Amino acid sequence: MERSEKVGLGVAGAGHLVLFGLLSVGFLSTPNPEKLKQQPIDVSLVKDVGLEAAAPQAVEEPAQSIAPETGEPDDAAPPAPADPAPEPAPAPPQPAPKPAPPEPAPKAAPKAEPKPKPAPPKPKPAPKPVEKPKPAPKPKPPAADQAAAAKKEAAEAKAKAAAAAKAKAAADAKAKAAAEAKAAAAAKAAADAKAKAAAAAKARGTGSDSQSKASKPKGGRLGDDFLKGLTSEPSKSRSQTPRAAKIDASALASIVQAIARQIQPCADRQVDPGPGANEIVTTLNLKLNENGTLAATPTMVRQTGVTPENQRYAQRVRDLGIAAFKGCSPLKLPAEYYDTPNGGWNNINFKWKLR
Amino acid sequence: MNPFFNTDAATLSPIALFLQADWVVKGVMFGLLAASIWTWAIIFSFWRKLGRTRKATEVFERDFWKADDIDAFYKTRADEDLPSARVFAAGVAEWRRSTQGSVIDRGGTRERLATSMGAAVANEIDKLSDRLNVLATVGSVAPFVGLFGTVWGIMRSFTSIASQQNTSLAVVAPGIAEALFATAIGLFAAIPAVIAYNRFSHGINRIEARLNRFADGFHATLSRQLDRER
Repeated sequence: MERSEKVGLGVAGAGHLVLFGLLSVGFLSTPNPEKLKQQPIDVSLVKDVGLEAAAPQAVEEPAQSIAPETGEPDDAAPPAPADPAPEPAPAPPQPAPKPAPPEPAPKAAPKAEPKPKPAPPKPKPAPKPVEKPKPAPKPKPPAADQAAAAKKEAAEAKAKAAAAAKAKAAADAKAKAAAEAKAAAAAKAAADAKAKAAAAAKARGTGSDSQSKASKPKGGRLGDDFLKGLTSEPSKSRSQTPRAAKIDASALASIVQAIARQIQPCADRQVDPGPGANEIVTTLNLKLNENGTLAATPTMVRQTGVTPENQRYAQRVRDLGIAAFKGCSPLKLPAEYYDTPNGGWNNINFKWKLR
Repeated sequence: MNPFFNTDAATLSPIALFLQADWVVKGVMFGLLAASIWTWAIIFSFWRKLGRTRKATEVFERDFWKADDIDAFYKTRADEDLPSARVFAAGVAEWRRSTQGSVIDRGGTRERLATSMGAAVANEIDKLSDRLNVLATVGSVAPFVGLFGTVWGIMRSFTSIASQQNTSLAVVAPGIAEALFATAIGLFAAIPAVIAYNRFSHGINRIEARLNRFADGFHATLSRQLDRER
């Protein structure tokens, strides 16, 4: 090797070293922002499943529209006889309408005397004392008999009054009667006050119901519209068990696990159809009743893992899966997850695989 | 590994590509790298030798044609390390041997002069073009050697695909990159070798032609001198 060749070798070696050194420190490297490395992802396997993940919300039934009555409406009359004091009250109401007749005065007087005595006579100083005692006993018997009787009498009195005088006259009489009744109440006892109220009520022209109710001892505290907005039908809730608010992934996984556990005995009894058959995964759609029984025969959604080797077993594997569900139902599953707004086990897909 | 060097396969680092390669590909790369270094060594030495020879030959011929006395010129310049000087020396030596005797065979002397100087020219050209065959070999073979390394590396990356059952680019790309690096080194060695081979062949042809012209001129001079001898 000549000297010039030695020099050339040294120069060439040095040049290569420089070139590869520059390349190694990234002299010509292209900026590569996206690395080809795959970033690891944290995967946590959920083992323990808490059913409280989606807490069930108890739904209370709306109240039924039943009034808190303390007694039967029809039995309003019977109690009346028992109480001597209140009875006088019902009696006067009948007379109340009568005050109208009295105004016509001369005419009504004879009529009123027997029944309505109290009110009409009151206005007049003289008849009052005499009549009052009378009316009390009189009305009593009819009242004791029936509220209807009193009503009839009242109607009769009214009719009479209407026939005797005009509406105007009746109104005047009413006012008068009211004023007089007031005075009487002040002078007399509570019974008189009651009578006044009854008279006022009657003057308003209320029907028989109000009269009968008014006769009840404790019914007066409820307003007429206390049932407003309430229906008379008892409302129903769809299921006895309160539904879960929603089903979450862990609860769903636990349900699938429970299904797998419960059909395992039936699956264990089955015979493996052939080599490779346990690689077939059959997704079955289950439609279940609330008591865990099958609402319909499970249907196949899809099959995976079918290869040319085990293709001939695919049908058999599907049938075995359906048979396992038929043999081991009903399934016992948590009732609160039967049907929730985002799914439940009433319609669930299950991946069936031979073991 | 040295933290100074970037050994990430995603960059174009030759060291990383070399270290990740199969041993066959490593051998191919190493051989091609040596060939490249040897090629460039030859290129540098040839470059300097041809340039120096060309210049010195010009100076020598100019001085020769200006010289009055060939014997005196021979005494001073014949031992220079130059092709033309050796051709000149061969001619003079043959002249002296042929004209030693009392009887001179002019025709035979002319023939011997031409033959000896032609042999000297051929000898010089042989010596000059000694390493040129290395350039030719590297230029023609290095691409194929690199291609062999590439094919081997790609085969290996395909087997890795088969073994991992994963065709993602992250699995395939490094193997193909390191395999292609073998072809890159082969081309890196071959291209300069081919260019240099053609260039230096041309230069040697020119030197050969120049030597032949010089030999012819000297032969003519000696031939005229032979006529003047009795």
